[in-house]
Amino acid sequence: MRGATQTKWLVAATAIALAATACSTSSKSSDDKAASGGGSIAVQLGEPQKGLIPQDTAESEGNQVLYAVFAGLVDYDRKTNAPRLQVAESIDTQDSKLWTIKLKDGYTFHNGEKVTAQSFVDAWNWGANQDNAAEGMPFFNKIEGSDELAPGKDKKPTAKELKGLKVVDDKTFTVSLTAPFSQFKTMLGYSAFYPLPKAFFNDPKAFGENPIGDGPFQMDGAWEHNKQIKIKRYDNYGGTKAKLQNVTFKIYDNLDTAYNDLRADNIQATNKLPISAMSSVAGEFGDRYINKPESGVGYIGFPIAYNPAYQKPEIRKAISMAIDRDAITKTIFAGTRVPASDFISPLINGYRKDACGDACKYDPAKAKDLFTQAGGLPNNTLELGYNADGGHKEWIEAVGNQLKKNLGIEVTFKPFEKFGKILDALQAKQYQGGFRMAWQMDYPSIENYLRPIFSKVAIDSGSNYGGYVNDQFESLLTQADSAKTEDEGIKLYQQADDVLIKDMPYIPVYTYQASAAYTKKIKNFDTDAQSRYNLAEVEMAG
Amino acid sequence: MSDTITKDASAPAGDNSPKATPAKKEKPERVASLWSDAVRDLRRNPLFIIGGVLVLALIVISIVPGWFTDGSPFANGACDLSHSLERPSAEHWFGYDVQGCDIYTRTVWGARNSIIVGILTTTTVTVVGALLGLWAGWKGGVIDSILSRITEIFFSIPTLLGGMLIMSMLPFAGNAYSVSLVMAVLGWPQIFRIMRASVLSNKNNDYVMAARALGAGAGRITFRHILPNAIAPVIVVAAISLGVFIGAEAALSYLGIGVQPPQISWGLMISDAQVRFLAAPHVLLFPAAVLSVTVLAFIMLGDAVRDALDPKLR
Amino acid sequence: MGRYVIRRLIQAIPVLIGATFLIYAIVFFLPGDPVQALAGEKRADPIVAEMIRQKYHLNDPFIVQYWDYISGVFRGDLGSSLQGRSVSEMLGEAFPYTVNLALVAFVIEAVVGVAAGVMAALRKGKFLDQLILISTLLVISIPVFVTGFILQLVLGVQLKNDYGIDFFSVSFNEDDGIRAYLLPAFVLASLSLAYVARLTRTSLMETMRADYVRTAVAKGLKRRRVIVRHALRNALIPIVTFLGADLGGLMGGAVITEKIFNMHGIGGLIAQAVYQKQGTIIVGVVTLLVLIYLVTTLLVDMLYAVLDPRIRYE
Repeated sequence: MRGATQTKWLVAATAIALAATACSTSSKSSDDKAASGGGSIAVQLGEPQKGLIPQDTAESEGNQVLYAVFAGLVDYDRKTNAPRLQVAESIDTQDSKLWTIKLKDGYTFHNGEKVTAQSFVDAWNWGANQDNAAEGMPFFNKIEGSDELAPGKDKKPTAKELKGLKVVDDKTFTVSLTAPFSQFKTMLGYSAFYPLPKAFFNDPKAFGENPIGDGPFQMDGAWEHNKQIKIKRYDNYGGTKAKLQNVTFKIYDNLDTAYNDLRADNIQATNKLPISAMSSVAGEFGDRYINKPESGVGYIGFPIAYNPAYQKPEIRKAISMAIDRDAITKTIFAGTRVPASDFISPLINGYRKDACGDACKYDPAKAKDLFTQAGGLPNNTLELGYNADGGHKEWIEAVGNQLKKNLGIEVTFKPFEKFGKILDALQAKQYQGGFRMAWQMDYPSIENYLRPIFSKVAIDSGSNYGGYVNDQFESLLTQADSAKTEDEGIKLYQQADDVLIKDMPYIPVYTYQASAAYTKKIKNFDTDAQSRYNLAEVEMAG
Repeated sequence: MSDTITKDASAPAGDNSPKATPAKKEKPERVASLWSDAVRDLRRNPLFIIGGVLVLALIVISIVPGWFTDGSPFANGACDLSHSLERPSAEHWFGYDVQGCDIYTRTVWGARNSIIVGILTTTTVTVVGALLGLWAGWKGGVIDSILSRITEIFFSIPTLLGGMLIMSMLPFAGNAYSVSLVMAVLGWPQIFRIMRASVLSNKNNDYVMAARALGAGAGRITFRHILPNAIAPVIVVAAISLGVFIGAEAALSYLGIGVQPPQISWGLMISDAQVRFLAAPHVLLFPAAVLSVTVLAFIMLGDAVRDALDPKLR
Repeated sequence: MGRYVIRRLIQAIPVLIGATFLIYAIVFFLPGDPVQALAGEKRADPIVAEMIRQKYHLNDPFIVQYWDYISGVFRGDLGSSLQGRSVSEMLGEAFPYTVNLALVAFVIEAVVGVAAGVMAALRKGKFLDQLILISTLLVISIPVFVTGFILQLVLGVQLKNDYGIDFFSVSFNEDDGIRAYLLPAFVLASLSLAYVARLTRTSLMETMRADYVRTAVAKGLKRRRVIVRHALRNALIPIVTFLGADLGGLMGGAVITEKIFNMHGIGGLIAQAVYQKQGTIIVGVVTLLVLIYLVTTLLVDMLYAVLDPRIRYE
């Protein structure tokens, strides 16, 4: 009796187990479909935050898609990061204030509409109008008339068009800036400056789900939220045509899963690797693992505007010198970050290796001396804040352990759910401690590493979260903006950088490395300074 | 020694005070006999002895971690990145974690927070949940409806949201007590439902009818007759939950509610180790093993206490 | 019975309205700026942020916002997210995955859990009993993230790469039908499985000692019939209670499982909404969960009467 009962249960259990393996061998992977034309692949993506409108997209995931679907006036050379004309035939200026932009022939939107000067002007006018609340609005600040379209809170725009934009003919338009800005051309590769077809203005919301661009790929059906975005080659593309026929952006919310899918060749490339893969990816993917400089810089900042404890540059310098950047980047990040020795990313024209000098070199003895001489910190305690959602806990703890050991202070940690919460706390002047932060460039210019993070205007509208103000820095920036040549400008920006190095408003800790990997199925894969896939150049291998 | 153990053992079961106090008012001598029966039972039960010794050992480690390690994990230079993820060795039995801290030292010093979280949360949840469940199940009607509907709302509030809310109202946060409070506030409905069900199925039993016929008061019937019969599933759930609470504490540290580094807890150690599990399994396995042993000890105690209290075994 | 059900359904109305009000208030009064939460690490441009706030009426007083929301709900409009997506659309996308996942997990939990518990109870102390105990300890102390990840690596990657068996896909693939749910559901169910197995074991052991079971055995009934018809039926009450309360938990609390297997269900949606302080999404999801809990507890309460005829509702 008892035996019979047991057997029944056992049979049931085995049946379940068998059901789980029975049909296993019959199913075959379906993504192997012989490539018609140039083949199809899938790549990793995170869910974009907003509708896919170039002027309203300020985050990396949406940008990744827009980069494939749109072509801007300029693109950037993947080696030098210098701007390279794309849709523009020429971009000229005499005084860095009035710019004349001529377009190439042959670019069309995916619905057949020609890309004209008006396509750009209309798009920019839309982006600059505050009623549209587009994320890219601040990028039009420099254009004359932007204050009429974005007069501020509780005010209505008094114009519909930027008076600084003039269409000369179908292929030419001019841009007049409020003040000279030598880096304007470099800015133009940013997504906010992409053109828009007329169809956009009928229904921007619908456009965001299924954008019509002028790039090498076109949408292949609407965005399937949280699942995938499919694109296919646009055969009438005005530039160098894409090789692949189809690309699927598969949407993940966990990098570990994406990495396992890459290992199983269910997707062919990822531009982000999980921490769990760092130690093994080089062995597993060999030369299909890409580890090269990327545009981001990681800092530790302090609320110097309202916490007097951190107002002495010597204190910040001492903290900087007590951090063993080498040990942290090697052990915690397994070489996927590199010690920072400048406020500028190594990718950028104007970067100087070791510009930071002794202030960024690990020297515990000197750090301790400097720290004591400057009077140390109140209660001999330092608090370090970080956002718990971004994998920052380990390195912040490592920094804390080093500071504790080298400066003889107590270090406590404060996690925030999201980086936004750190900003809320800083804005309310509630949070007194140090905090991590990072800067990802918008466009590859040395200026983009200075003004948005350290200038006075950036306190309210940019990323100057510490509230640093230095008049010399401000005036150097203004001088650099109106420099006659690019090189002259860069020299002046470097002088501004030197002011930062002297003051250490933030402590540069590391610069990011792009870590991407791809499978044997594809070749010619690469990523750019913002870790965007070069999908237009990727080919199927063999 | 056995006295200490009895006290500790009855704590997680949560049936100590509720049963003893109200019953005492009526007929104290009967309570003594129920308890002396139970204690006599327990002393003879090997499960109870092993579980009790383990729990006692854990409590001693929590109180005086310094007896079990030479170093302190809070000392200057206790962690050195040059030792990051080193494997276990003769000198360092558990190896090093990613920060280059000795895992054995941290496990020993982390016991206190974890044991506090585990015992405090489990006790609160069990006492509150069981008492309310007893009340709702016994009274029925309006009281049952109101309490049941409240639990449904509590169940539906996402832990994250509830945690943030409670945290924003707390004057203190980031330690073993704040996290226990949050988990207790969000955790009691489960025990409530189980206790209520247990009472419902027991209150129609013959012995309850008999007691009622004999003129026993409501308090006496619930605590003397129904509770001992209905408590078994609650003990089972409580013993498992104790371990779950210890582990879940780490998830709440992310919100600033749980124990914060440089403080140590097993939950944090386990959670920090999980991303590098493949490269360095030892960082996860040692604290996980200690947590397992702790849960095992409480499951053994729970089983023993349940057997001791079950009148059907008399 | 019929009147009881009607009364319970009427009670649901104030509970639902109260819950939406409560949740809306919690989200409203929690500190934090939802517009900045969307902007990531760069500060939202003050003008753009203000325009978004105006567009979604975030500057209005609480009671006005709540009124707008609730009157929208009565018109069948659950509002929209701050990214301009309709909440009902988002729920409609996420909910089917969650329901399927929760149901498969529920079946695994109920069937395997009860079966394992029955076997453990019948052969106390034997191999299977010990195995269940050890598995329980494992699922408590090893985070779901790790077990899920390892299963995914072994069954999803290695089985395909090394043996050519492409049965379990790494990330969830809807086209695979129910097969796609097996692995995630197993991972999701594992902890509850431990509870169910241990509850069943204890509960069955207790009822096996009850008078009516002894009577049944004495009457000469077959052992299997005694176990299934008499002992197990009664022992099921706490288990059914646990399972009922757990069903909602499986739906709202599958955050990690959903993440591991790249399913975009309710768990992830709610976690993200809480982090971003998006009231409309949170209230939408939580209201749905309250509804689910209301229905499951009603079903469970009715099941009690089926399992134990002595329990009656008037």
